[in-house]
Amino acid sequence: MDPTQIINQRVEVAVFYRKDCDVSMLAYPVKMKYKNQEIKFTRLGLRHETAKGKRMIHVFDVTDDVNDYRLEFDAQGLTWTLVSMIPGVNL
Amino acid sequence: MNYDLNKESPRIMWIDLNSAFAMAEQQAKPSLRNRPMGVTNRLSKECCVIAASYEAKALGIKVGVRRSEAMALCPDFVMIETDPPKYHHVYKKLAAIMKTYSPKVKMKSIDEGIIDFRGMDKTYTTQRLIEIGYEIKARVKEEIGDYTKINVGIGPNRFLAKTAAGLHKPDGLDVIDYKNLLQVYESLELQDLNGIADGYGSRLRSFKIDTPIKFLQAPEDLLRKQVFKSINGLHWHKRLRGYEVDDFETSLGMVGRQWVVKNPSSDEDYLRSCLHFLTETTGKKLRFRNVEARGVAVWLAFQSGEVFSDKRMYRTGVHTDADIWLRISKIFDRRPKHMSVRTMGLYLYKLEPSSRSQIGLFHNTEKDQHITTAVDEINDRYGMFSVHSGDSLEGTKHVKQKIPFGGTEYFDLLLNRQ
Repeated sequence: MDPTQIINQRVEVAVFYRKDCDVSMLAYPVKMKYKNQEIKFTRLGLRHETAKGKRMIHVFDVTDDVNDYRLEFDAQGLTWTLVSMIPGVNL
Repeated sequence: MNYDLNKESPRIMWIDLNSAFAMAEQQAKPSLRNRPMGVTNRLSKECCVIAASYEAKALGIKVGVRRSEAMALCPDFVMIETDPPKYHHVYKKLAAIMKTYSPKVKMKSIDEGIIDFRGMDKTYTTQRLIEIGYEIKARVKEEIGDYTKINVGIGPNRFLAKTAAGLHKPDGLDVIDYKNLLQVYESLELQDLNGIADGYGSRLRSFKIDTPIKFLQAPEDLLRKQVFKSINGLHWHKRLRGYEVDDFETSLGMVGRQWVVKNPSSDEDYLRSCLHFLTETTGKKLRFRNVEARGVAVWLAFQSGEVFSDKRMYRTGVHTDADIWLRISKIFDRRPKHMSVRTMGLYLYKLEPSSRSQIGLFHNTEKDQHITTAVDEINDRYGMFSVHSGDSLEGTKHVKQKIPFGGTEYFDLLLNRQ
């Protein structure tokens, strides 16, 4: 039914910043450390922004071609949170 | 036969992001692509699909299908909860792309809108509009995402442009003008026409009008005086021929909110708190539109299948949450209290321009207004329902934000205040 697994854990993320392209691809996470494993992202599905009060949150939906991950970057607190994932093998 | 068709160049472009929510999720989550999936407002045992992917639609899983029915049709069906900010993002990107082509862009809902090229340079020929249509498709893939597809329809009026956009889903581009109009109508069923559903469909069929071509051939007098018995008959007569009759703004008639009760119950505190929460969200809509309401109405659908509804009109309008709740709760208290409520809703009607700046004759309303404004500002800054009445506390835990269908006017209000 709903394959989404809620995680809500702070993670370490490496981000790639481009110099010049459409705003949707100017910055995107390339890898993260989660449960002592390094996960490399192969594609950015969608980036969108949302707000928690006046705090801007950038949401990155990324994939490593196996699982889908939802990462949130709090632009005020400068924190990265792995909010949820969809394990590809379960689908 | 001379149909008196509109022979002007088609200058209306309809852009339709079909299965918008499902497609936005498939764009964001590659593992859901090319799979039957759907989204729902809140996952529950009997929740409904509010948007289905094309793969799901091909299996017969459409909007409104219950979760259990969907699973019976396709055991691998994936259903996830809606993510309004994501859809808002896609909507904003699509609207921004469209606005680069004409100053006259009107978003008709969260997933569709029109670009009006009328009155623009004559170099905007049909061929040029087709090129623009393909350019928009390419930009959508580049600026929103490679999985995102739109339908483009071009026609001399809104009706034909929308019809054209529906001809080859999910990635079509079609033009309807006086040259191919009859051919298109011949390929459609009566109820394929936008605006003709079961009601109008059976009314037309009772006059032996059972195809779009026969609808086109029907005399204006027959449509106006007998079939529709109103000006609608004349509008349909013109609309079918490509003349514009839908270029108008509708006035705001009511604002409201409804909710399928999470755990159907007759519990007074639970229901009261949830209704109070719905009242506060409705109050925000009311103030957002800078109007106040004289009429209040409450309706409840019970698990037994019975319905309670009541409404009341007052001499004076209200706009503060406290005043609205005072009136709503009076009606709510008249319900049959022993019955388990399945769905609840309220609406405010007889809307009038706000008289907030007027000073009350019998009591000081200024304080109430200042408190309401202050609470709205705090919630703007720190997130929706940072401050709310204590009575609605339980409701805030259960009632989820709803996707605003049919209109886009509350997006900024509902999506920026989380």
